[in-house]
Amino acid sequence: MVGEEFPSVKTKNIGQHLWLGIAIALVLIFSLAPVMWQLLTSFKVNQDISKVPTVYFPTRFTFGHYIELFTRRPFWRYIFNSAFVAIISTSLALGFGAPAAYALARLRPWGGRVILTSILLVTLFPGILLFLGLLEIVQALHLGNNYLALIIPYTAINLPLTILVLHSFFQQLPKDLEDAAKIDGYNTWQMLVQILLPLTVPALFTTGILTFIFAWNEFIFALTFITREQMKTIPVAVAQLSGASTFEIPYGPIAAATMVGTFPLVLLVLFFQRKIVQGLTAGAVKG
Amino acid sequence: MANTVMMSKLHAIRRQEQITAGIFLLPAAILLLFVFGYPIVRAFWLSFFAKNLATKLQPVFCGLDNYARMVGDGHFWQSFWIATTFTTASVILELLLGLGIALVLNQKFWGQGGVRTIAILPWALPTALMGLAWAWIFNDQFGVVNDILLRLGIIKTGINWLGEPTLALLATIFADVWKTTPFISILLLASLQSISPDLYEAHAMDGAKPWQSFYQITLPLLAPQILIATLFRFAQAFGIFDLIAVMTGGGPGGATEVISLYIYSTVMRYLDFGYGAALMVVTFLLLVLAVASASFLLNKSRIAAK
Amino acid sequence: MNYRLLKNLFSVVPTRFKQLQLSAIVILLAILLSVFTKWISPAQTAKPVVLNLLMTAPDAQPWKEGLVKRFEEKNPGIRINIIEGPNATNLLEDLYTSAFILGDSPYDLVNMDVIWTPKFAAAGWLMDLTDRMTAKELAAFSSWDVEGGRYEGRLYRIPMRSDVGILYYRKDLLEEGGFAPPKTFADLIAISQSLKQQNKVNWGYLWQGRQYEGLVAMFVEVLHGFGGFWIDPKTLEVGLDRPETLEAIAFLKQTMQAGISPPGVTTYQEEETRRIFQSGQAAFLRSWPYVWPLANAPDSPIQGKIAIEPMVSASGENGGACLGGWGLGISKSTRYPQEAWKAIQYFTSEEAQRQFVLKAGFVPSRRSLFTDPQIVAKYPHYPQLLKVLEKAVLRPPIAQYAQASDILQRYLSAALTNRLSGEKAMKQAAQETRRLLGKS
Repeated sequence: MVGEEFPSVKTKNIGQHLWLGIAIALVLIFSLAPVMWQLLTSFKVNQDISKVPTVYFPTRFTFGHYIELFTRRPFWRYIFNSAFVAIISTSLALGFGAPAAYALARLRPWGGRVILTSILLVTLFPGILLFLGLLEIVQALHLGNNYLALIIPYTAINLPLTILVLHSFFQQLPKDLEDAAKIDGYNTWQMLVQILLPLTVPALFTTGILTFIFAWNEFIFALTFITREQMKTIPVAVAQLSGASTFEIPYGPIAAATMVGTFPLVLLVLFFQRKIVQGLTAGAVKG
Repeated sequence: MANTVMMSKLHAIRRQEQITAGIFLLPAAILLLFVFGYPIVRAFWLSFFAKNLATKLQPVFCGLDNYARMVGDGHFWQSFWIATTFTTASVILELLLGLGIALVLNQKFWGQGGVRTIAILPWALPTALMGLAWAWIFNDQFGVVNDILLRLGIIKTGINWLGEPTLALLATIFADVWKTTPFISILLLASLQSISPDLYEAHAMDGAKPWQSFYQITLPLLAPQILIATLFRFAQAFGIFDLIAVMTGGGPGGATEVISLYIYSTVMRYLDFGYGAALMVVTFLLLVLAVASASFLLNKSRIAAK
Repeated sequence: MNYRLLKNLFSVVPTRFKQLQLSAIVILLAILLSVFTKWISPAQTAKPVVLNLLMTAPDAQPWKEGLVKRFEEKNPGIRINIIEGPNATNLLEDLYTSAFILGDSPYDLVNMDVIWTPKFAAAGWLMDLTDRMTAKELAAFSSWDVEGGRYEGRLYRIPMRSDVGILYYRKDLLEEGGFAPPKTFADLIAISQSLKQQNKVNWGYLWQGRQYEGLVAMFVEVLHGFGGFWIDPKTLEVGLDRPETLEAIAFLKQTMQAGISPPGVTTYQEEETRRIFQSGQAAFLRSWPYVWPLANAPDSPIQGKIAIEPMVSASGENGGACLGGWGLGISKSTRYPQEAWKAIQYFTSEEAQRQFVLKAGFVPSRRSLFTDPQIVAKYPHYPQLLKVLEKAVLRPPIAQYAQASDILQRYLSAALTNRLSGEKAMKQAAQETRRLLGKS
């Protein structure tokens, strides 16, 4: 890497400015290119999409792909399904994770370190190792095509991150608060809910965003446990979009679906970038 | 006398704490054991049975047969090899790229927040959707990559990225690197920001050049973080499913079929549950081995640093 | 201490607890909602019975406009809901499979490729249809098509569309050169070489050599032509390491070595081979019936110049044509088996099929339609197609077909691309296949 990693130098020469500028531009292009390209494709007419050489500045635009998305497929349902599952599993993860994190941070349970380490280790299990056991349970309980079949695994998958983030957060809270509360006669649950929780709202919010993102993007369980069209979540539904007649793969509608499906997340990132970064570093650095 | 009373009171409080902690931990513990623990145990158990179409999907005890079959299963070894290649290439590239981006983001410039936001974006987007986007970008007839290469005159005819074994693997690696680099760069950025500038100043005053500072200060301080990030990413990349399933489906001819795809199709396509369970067990054990070795290395490096 | 706790509990809890209670109740309701959403799901309809059928998107259009419309007119109480699926048939199979595995399959009718039947039947997902059709009724269909719908002697699929591998050739070039259509592999090579030497064509023989299901479909024909076999469905014996298999591989390799097949043939699927053949560059093409209308389209360079014949064989052996095709079955979990059977009866009836063939150009499954005057007027090669159909070769109708096919695909591809010697490849393939079938 070029010598830009020298943060304490206050004044840079023109050369370093130039390099930095180029580097920043590269980072921007690298991060945005595929998204921008899909955005462009989603508004192109079919003829322009399949034109060779590629059209970068189309002269004609169409909303047709977006319209096709919502008319030929129950895209509103997909959005609802994704949102519903993500929100519920996020709430549950927070609801189960906060007390657990508090317990680990303040109550020093027997074997606390072991529990924390195993929670951390469990994040390393890829979904592929879990889906068979869960599939059998879903089959046995007839939970196929039921939101619960996704909500429960998503909550569990989000628990480790939730616990880790909130754990480090609780550890940083001043102990005097809790001591005062104890003296005033609050029991642990009351203290957690009435006094600490309001303080932890920022952390809860941060974790909530992260868990929402994970749940929204999840694929393998959504693919396996939901097969009815009406119940599918966005990633699976879009991956299974098919085209008719001439186009083997409907590139236009897929691009449109990508934009619609990523839009909420883009908004989240735009508005809560700082919190996301905080949450990720808190969760991972603690390892 | 007063001491004994206080001691027993402390004990009581401590016991109360333990019980409360237990109650607080219980729901989370149950859920975690249920979703993470049970399937692994079940996989171990099922791996000793044959449960497939030949047994009419009834479990029939078969001892180590599934494992014996795995040894001679060319498909398994191929997918294992591909997964390893994919993971290694991906993680190395991510580390390099992530480090570079972290260094850039660590600089102070106008619009820093905005650039950081944009840099995170790839990580937040659904892998499946972006996998489709990448498949489109690498399309042999209409893709942007071919178009740019053609215009630059580097190639004469469109490259069939997703139709050639090695190229398809490269394309998927590239897409994975794109998607997960932000994760690494954020972690490294946080660590970079925690390094005190005084260290650099002192080093500079000793006559060190920027890149020397990099090697002698930055890297060693980042090392634990890098190792942790590598570990995480290794486990994730080894088990990768969405991206490849959506981009190439394991093709062409199984050239991008990583182990998770093979396991998935063994269960969901071939309905070979017992064998699939055995595959899961082996993959799990390999992961455990990798994690154990990595933490061992981590501990050693920590001790060495001290 | 305890008393004070309780006192505080009772005084403080109500207000804060209410807030907590509210959010807890909301979440609980949401969870209950999700549990019961299954029953509220939109599969409800007022009166008409709805049958769900999944098929590829391009197929869906002609079905919806033709067959389904007419069926619904005749049966006002039944509606057919065609669900559009992906174009690739293996992805379609995955959709069916995952829906059935999950146990909440939304499909009543099952549109099956011939190689799926054993798997679906063995898994217990299909209704046994053996007793719904008499032998006489079944005789109206080509016997191999019907056989393709059987598993372990029971019938699970009524054939809807036939498909069979055939050898296309440029009859104009053969007539010019004074050649009779080839009957043996040797003939094929000889004629191709001759035509190539005379610069009449760039390539002699086109076939599908890429590593996919089509490779296996093509290969079983060549294998049969040399008197070999892949897997005996009754005894589960594996014939891959026999000399006949090696001869079959040697033949395919010879086409590449002798220069009558392009070196890229090991990357071709159906479309690549069709395009080359249709542009007039090749003399022979092994493919499926769908090529005919395209090759005879007004804008095709080879319009009117092609003919078909059964796949060639080694001298003394019988040629084999790989059977493909689609048929309809009934899912065991359907709530409306009677209505589903009605639909199948209609879709496979002569009248419905005739309309379908004339409109959409598919190959029918009823034998009489191959020689039906109306149809022959439009597709003159159909009578001959029927003859080829009678000599069809089934890919092994075993439950684990998909896995066996995967093994053969990989090793065959390795042998054809010279990554492994034919002998070694087939030895390993046979070993793995035997292990798969539990017969090592």
